Amino acid sequence: MPALPLRYAYFPGCVAQGACRELYQSTAAVTAALGIELLELKKAACCGSGTYKEDSQLLEDTVNARNIALAETLNLPLLTHCSTCQGVIGHVDERLKAAQEDDPAYLEQVNQFLTQEGCSPYRGTSEVKHLLWVLVGDYGLEALRARVVRSLSGLRCGAFYGCYLLRPLSTLPYDDPVAPQSLESVIEAVGATAVDYPGRTQCCGWPISSYATETSFKMAGKHLQSAIAAGMDCLVTPCPLCHLNLESRQPEIEKVIGTSLNLPVLHLPQLVGLALGLDPAVLGLERHVVSLQPVLAKLRLAAA
Amino acid sequence: MQVTFNILRQQPQGSPYAQHYGLEVEAGETILDCLNRIKWEQDGSLTFRKNCRNTICGSCAMRINGRSTLACKENVSQEVARFGTQAADGTPQITIAPLGNLPVVRDLVVDMAQFWDDLEAVDPYVSTQGRAVPEREFLQTPEERSRLDQMGNCILCGACYSECNSKAFNPDFLGPHALAKANRLVTDTRDTQTEARIEQYNSLDGVWGCTRCYQCNAVCPMEVAPLDQISKIKHELLARHDKTSSRPIRHRKVLVDLVKAGGWVDERKFGIYVVGNYFQDVKGLLSVMPLGFRMLARGKFPLMFEPSEGTAEVRSLITAVQAYQQAQDSPQEPDSV
Repeated sequence: MPALPLRYAYFPGCVAQGACRELYQSTAAVTAALGIELLELKKAACCGSGTYKEDSQLLEDTVNARNIALAETLNLPLLTHCSTCQGVIGHVDERLKAAQEDDPAYLEQVNQFLTQEGCSPYRGTSEVKHLLWVLVGDYGLEALRARVVRSLSGLRCGAFYGCYLLRPLSTLPYDDPVAPQSLESVIEAVGATAVDYPGRTQCCGWPISSYATETSFKMAGKHLQSAIAAGMDCLVTPCPLCHLNLESRQPEIEKVIGTSLNLPVLHLPQLVGLALGLDPAVLGLERHVVSLQPVLAKLRLAAA
Repeated sequence: MQVTFNILRQQPQGSPYAQHYGLEVEAGETILDCLNRIKWEQDGSLTFRKNCRNTICGSCAMRINGRSTLACKENVSQEVARFGTQAADGTPQITIAPLGNLPVVRDLVVDMAQFWDDLEAVDPYVSTQGRAVPEREFLQTPEERSRLDQMGNCILCGACYSECNSKAFNPDFLGPHALAKANRLVTDTRDTQTEARIEQYNSLDGVWGCTRCYQCNAVCPMEVAPLDQISKIKHELLARHDKTSSRPIRHRKVLVDLVKAGGWVDERKFGIYVVGNYFQDVKGLLSVMPLGFRMLARGKFPLMFEPSEGTAEVRSLITAVQAYQQAQDSPQEPDSV
């Protein structure tokens, strides 16, 4: 375990407070079990998931500079548990840190908007980290391995990263965006088996699901079918938006592609929580559209 | 150093198969140098496109170690250091495959007809009126010209097209190369078709077909950032249309409205407003009902919504930025003489 207690300013995001409440629950349970302290940013706002930028780059930068400044006020790194929040807020942080050198006038403009509305200015003193990176880097894989009390042996898991955890950022702390391994390394550290399959770094289709529904479902369907063909028991994702498309919409995807799927999809902290011996109900495992019964049966656990 | 090249080959009408070639190479040799040596020293039948050897012509785009890039841009030592994959005999291995999203003609050569057709569909020339030679030159300020630089750097190599998630599932999607070029023409002050062009991309096969997966930005060897160019066209469309005009536009506007209302997105309202068009689109509403019921049945439906404690601050911030942006976007008053 790390020498000092790990503390983060926690950015919950929209989906974990809405349609994926089980992610909020399982992040809380897992961090508590590992002794990681979270101070929830109650005044934070939606990162925009890439949509603000289509309105204007200034809007994306300003709203997220405010989010980051909330963490800076606490002198803590900002923790996300969503690939999309990580990619958007992390990229804004990269851009504004670069602006301190290259384009101070732009940063000044962003900060003028913030101070005008009574918000703290962005100072560039924090970091934006996904829960996955906290487990790999700050907590450490060895320390995590030492905390495993329930065997996940033989559970075949496929990693599904989410675009924004890989590609918007110019530098990733532990991964090559073309051949990432951090999620697989956590899957292995908690005793499950990471299985490769095509599609793990591709788009789940969520961003266009409200209007190009069939195309979106074909994208998700192809990745789910590849995972099933690789003999997967479940997918594991650090992105609740991917979870919504791959999991909650699976019955509709089945209709579009004309094949039965039934592949459970776990949120990252749910998998870690199972290994830490947490109760499936505490991890919200019953709050899934695709039943986790086959996964629980394989682990010889009673239904949640 | 000894390196194994694992090349995905294919004959016309045949199935793809992997072939391995061992080569003694200098660390600084480019992948294209190595392919040339394989062809000249070992196997004259290996087929690939090549020309300038200097990242200018865009001919040698292919998938190297899992991503589309130019064979003349990447070198052996960087590939080995970055990917560290090994062949069965323990030597460093570099994997090479043809571009994706295009049919293979032979080995690493793909048929790019669809790529060119998609480009042609955006009428990639400054408009006819702009092409008519006037009595004096078309004047453009250096600043106006510099706005075309990023898109103008495109060498039409096909790397973005090869990795595009949308193109893989919607063959009618125009593609990142064409939409980046589209923004080059939308931005050009000499073009007289700006409004018609912007409307041409207002469709699911145009800018709204993009999933924002960032693959095009990630692989572009010339930093054209096609996704950013697509976003700029979306910005122009959002400035011209209100949320009644289409579902993709409503999707964007409702998201910002809901953040103004609650700091976070209230997903129940998002579904009803975007897909159900504020209860007006009955078919749309019915289409999300099964999802709603399924989520209710699994205790997954969000019964409550807790607004952010910072809602008032965020609303005021977004309003201020939008007002500023609108003033920037609206045409400048001509200077009084």
